[in-house]
Amino acid sequence: MHPFRLQQIPREAELANGDDRDWEALLAAAQGGDGEAYRAFLQAILPYARAVARRRLGNENLIEDVVQDALLTLHRVRHTYQPGRPVRPWLAAIVNRRAIDAARRSGRVGAREVSDDFAFETFADPDANPNEAAEASESLARMMTDLTPRQKEALELVKLKEMSLAEASAASGQSVGALKVNVHRAIRRLRRGLDRDAAE
Amino acid sequence: MSARATEDVIAALAAEAAPVRPLAPPLARASRLLLVLGLLSAVTIAVLGDLDGMMARYAGRETMMMAETGAMLATAILALFGAFALSVPGGSRAWLVAPLPTFLLWIGLSSAGCYDLMLRRGLGGWGAVGDGTCFIFLLSASLGVGVPVLWLLSRARPIEPLAVATLGGLGVAATAAALLQFFHPFAVTVIDLVFHLLAVLIIVTTAALLRRLALRPG
Repeated sequence: MHPFRLQQIPREAELANGDDRDWEALLAAAQGGDGEAYRAFLQAILPYARAVARRRLGNENLIEDVVQDALLTLHRVRHTYQPGRPVRPWLAAIVNRRAIDAARRSGRVGAREVSDDFAFETFADPDANPNEAAEASESLARMMTDLTPRQKEALELVKLKEMSLAEASAASGQSVGALKVNVHRAIRRLRRGLDRDAAE
Repeated sequence: MSARATEDVIAALAAEAAPVRPLAPPLARASRLLLVLGLLSAVTIAVLGDLDGMMARYAGRETMMMAETGAMLATAILALFGAFALSVPGGSRAWLVAPLPTFLLWIGLSSAGCYDLMLRRGLGGWGAVGDGTCFIFLLSASLGVGVPVLWLLSRARPIEPLAVATLGGLGVAATAAALLQFFHPFAVTVIDLVFHLLAVLIIVTTAALLRRLALRPG
């Protein structure tokens, strides 16, 4: 076995369908800029990618997120595939990496966020304080105008429309990294605005 | 998330399928880098190195010197091969520990050299002899070697940037340490060795901290 190709393939994933020769040819054609071959390749590898993600993650809800994230990563590193080499170890490494990242992220969120079953009881009737609600809405609208268009777009897609980073990336054309940065900066700017309003 | 959204992602990616040039195999890329580094180092040593001084310092301990330099070079080679192997998806994780035996051998032989010096010189073999020049040499040489190494590694957009940066940093530090052997104006004392190790730690840590900036991970 080639010393640079020793990545272990999950057992379940080995059982996934797919013609390796076809995948190699499609990916090589995709590297040459063939969009149709690339689309066919990405479609063909989906069951395998899901099997690898499922093997790594216990949480079924995360699998599709991980697959989408892995597709975006694959897109960025598609030049590292060497034509003629097996696709599966290369692909499994990408999906595994994104699955590990997702599991860590999920673990961090689980450790820091708590579910408050009675939180809804602390929300007053929306009609109870119409003046304050109108002021808050106005204030928020004003602060939103302070954001850059990319920050506003990232915030709307990820936080308001609750899209995954992968979906938001596909919808906006911003990279996952850029989305994360823009959401972070937008929230920080809004928070500063709220603090300023509170001080006034 | 829905399978429908995955279809949308695929459609978006397929629409952006610009041609890309496949990278050469990592083994070949690492070999080319090491060849260039070897040639440049040989020229630098031939022009600026103090070979006579080095032989005088190691008089009677030539085997030890060769073993120590060999361990440094082996660490550099294994760490750089490992960094390139792991910079592309599917590289064996065995590369993470591959440089460890030679790194330990390097530290062990350097420590043995210090111990030997202490036996011969007593307390004179303990304190620092250098004025920090070697420390600066290690950092400067690492900067000179490290920038092209990190640039080459970044071309793969590694999906495991921490592992790649750490191995790359170790390879760079070991290369600088091997080079220093040919420029060292004195025998290494315990304190000198501590500073050497500190420099190695700084180089590896800096590479690890700069991984996102330097490696543009995928």
